[in-house]
Amino acid sequence: MIAYAVRVIAKALVTFLAIVTLVFFFTRITGNPIDYVIGQGITQEDRALLMTYFGLDQPLWLQYLRFLRAFVDGEFGLSFVERRPVTEIVADRLWPSLQLLGSGLALTLLLSIPLGIVAAIERKSWIGNAVMSFAFIGYAIPNFVLATFLILIFAYWLNWLPVVGNGTALHFIMPTITLSGVMIAALTRFTRNAMLDVLGQDYMRTARAKGLSERQGLFKHGLRNASITILSVIGLQVAGLAASGNVVVEAIFAWPGIGDLLVRSAIQRDYPVLQFGVIAVSVAVLTVNALVDIAYAYADPRIRLARA
Amino acid sequence: MTRLLATTALAALMAGSAFAVELKVGAANVTTYLDPGRDHSNVGSQFYYNSFDVLVEKNYDTLETEWRPGLATEWKLVEPTVMELKLRQGVKFHNGDAMTADDVVFSLNRMYQADFPPYQVRARDRLANFEKAEKVDEQTIRITAKKEEPLWETLLNLQQVMIVPMKYTMSLAGDPNALEHDDFEAFSLKPVGTGPYKVAELAPGERLVWERFDDFWGDKAPLERVTVTQIPETASRITALKTGEVDLITNVAPDQLTLIEQDPKLKAVGSATALFHVMIMNVNHPTLKDPRIRQAMSLAVDRDTLNEALWFGKAIVPSTHTMQEYGPLYMPDLVTFEYNPEKAKELLKEAGYNGEEIVYTSFPTYYTNGLLAAQAIVDMWKAVGINGKVEVNDKWTGGAPEMMARNWSNPMYFADPFGSFGVMWAPGGPSQSEGRFNTDEAYAESWERFRFSKDIEARKAAYAELMDRIKADPPLLPLYRPYESWAMSTNIDWAPKKGHIPYVLDFRAGSITFATN
Repeated sequence: MIAYAVRVIAKALVTFLAIVTLVFFFTRITGNPIDYVIGQGITQEDRALLMTYFGLDQPLWLQYLRFLRAFVDGEFGLSFVERRPVTEIVADRLWPSLQLLGSGLALTLLLSIPLGIVAAIERKSWIGNAVMSFAFIGYAIPNFVLATFLILIFAYWLNWLPVVGNGTALHFIMPTITLSGVMIAALTRFTRNAMLDVLGQDYMRTARAKGLSERQGLFKHGLRNASITILSVIGLQVAGLAASGNVVVEAIFAWPGIGDLLVRSAIQRDYPVLQFGVIAVSVAVLTVNALVDIAYAYADPRIRLARA
Repeated sequence: MTRLLATTALAALMAGSAFAVELKVGAANVTTYLDPGRDHSNVGSQFYYNSFDVLVEKNYDTLETEWRPGLATEWKLVEPTVMELKLRQGVKFHNGDAMTADDVVFSLNRMYQADFPPYQVRARDRLANFEKAEKVDEQTIRITAKKEEPLWETLLNLQQVMIVPMKYTMSLAGDPNALEHDDFEAFSLKPVGTGPYKVAELAPGERLVWERFDDFWGDKAPLERVTVTQIPETASRITALKTGEVDLITNVAPDQLTLIEQDPKLKAVGSATALFHVMIMNVNHPTLKDPRIRQAMSLAVDRDTLNEALWFGKAIVPSTHTMQEYGPLYMPDLVTFEYNPEKAKELLKEAGYNGEEIVYTSFPTYYTNGLLAAQAIVDMWKAVGINGKVEVNDKWTGGAPEMMARNWSNPMYFADPFGSFGVMWAPGGPSQSEGRFNTDEAYAESWERFRFSKDIEARKAAYAELMDRIKADPPLLPLYRPYESWAMSTNIDWAPKKGHIPYVLDFRAGSITFATN
């Protein structure tokens, strides 16, 4: 198990180094922060002066080495725009995003696993069909459309919920539903399919034959075997959301999260923020992936034995 | 909203005293730093006037130039190039420090003798004529200019020379008794001024909170607290206004105004911003070297149609590079730019234009309606025989030799032609330095007379000469002054003041009131 975990982590580290290197070079190809930080209306001499001030006149390889050194001394630099440490800026923005992701994930797990199981057991009745129709619609509606409907109903017509910011628990409701809509739909379908696969297996018949009740069989054998698929889907969804999916939700609800920050830094070519922001998000994604891999092994002894 | 109404009623009872009111503003953008010296962005301009003061104030209610005492109570020239100013006494900074002559000298010299690169850049394009500021005594300072200065008051009224505290700034980073670049960097996140509102919180790009500063030297602020929250999405901003989460919003696009007008609880105010959206043309591009081709590119553009189609006729289309805000230097009779497709066709023929492709580069979203205008312009070119193409690029390409034509803006940084055309198109200025505009001795001589003549008629005559040069060999076409709107609940009475630079959110005494309804 430990050897397996080490391999998973090593793989994650290599991926991480590749990501930070790509981000470093790609952001520098696409533009110059001076135009965005100072505005377009300065002489070439002044541009050169500011390039020196921001350290952008150094050869690219030197800037890269300095950037790598930050992993040792923790000095990731100042934002060109906000002039404060990027670690502070990203930390400020990461927490609201994680809170939203956490509440979205909780709502997803709470709804989609029971719904998926019900849809599998009741697959021939109207209940199963209703659940699957709901999942289909949920999957088909883009999150910005869902957000617009929620705002229209709950803020505009009923005036029950606030639209912008993250100040109170009420502020979480619409963004959480918007964020988790697609996840709930996807996970409900995958849970149902995984359960259907499992329900037809020989070991389920054996479970019934050895006298386990339907419920015991379902949870002890069925759900455990289906959990591999469910875990993969959760891992993929969460990783995807952490990397990009929050952007739309954060923009619509003026949620001060990392998605909004990364988009703005990309537009302004605020390299230090963009670099560190991508690092933070990559760490989050890789951690989730590594945790999912390790959870596989926990859920399925065959994996840890085969890969050890 | 209920809270606002309740406090409004209370405020009505407390006639004569400041309101105990909190205002919530939803802004498309909240600044990421506050440093009046280095900033001249449209986003930043919204936020300085409430917290900072200048030496020479202005009546912002009118387009006429009417100077008023600010942190200086009187000023006079003691030599042709030396201005002496008497300082207002009893002024306090938000941190409790008393404002001294040293603070004023420090604030001015941080720009006049700048060695901090962001200040150097800002000082060079507008404050280059000022040599130094010196303290005479505790109540008096002197400013020395290099040449006789016709725009003393204008250039003492600039955002860039707002007064900041010296000791406080020095204490922010490194050695508390020395001035380091890091002090200025730190100041931009912990700004302190002398204005009627102190910055209670600045969450960069997210939220700015002002609180009334009780020790303000002038009329007390009418609001106890103002919270400005960044709401980037227009639809969310409008919804937040409709649901009462905010009381006032910025940047309502022209096509969204009906949403506001249909709601009896809301209203919108707007104005044609003191800023030109312009089309620039690279005079040094091989295809565009012949001025007749650029004249044709300009004559082909029907700007009135652009105004009708994109701005519902609310923008202002100028005949020359001039704005009403310039007061006596406003020159609406000058015709530098016009629409004449027939002449455009003739000029193309004379120039021997053979259908070479002319690329118009546009930012995707930076300028409201910028991309739509680009597409319309290229179609208008087609009508006179120019083979145009729109290229979308979010990179600034104004300094690239291959740039042919693109969108840009010429804001009015201060109310004088020097504050707009004079900054952008000066000899050796940004346009020339980027290699897309040329000047010669004659141009420089006209520019010098326009900039430094003390006689207004002489300045106007020189400016007309510059406009003739621009007409004969055009590097730009000002399209229009875009129309910008703010929306608010009907019980608030606020509008942008004519005399300010664009986008200022002025919540000082007399600038915002609550109607009794």
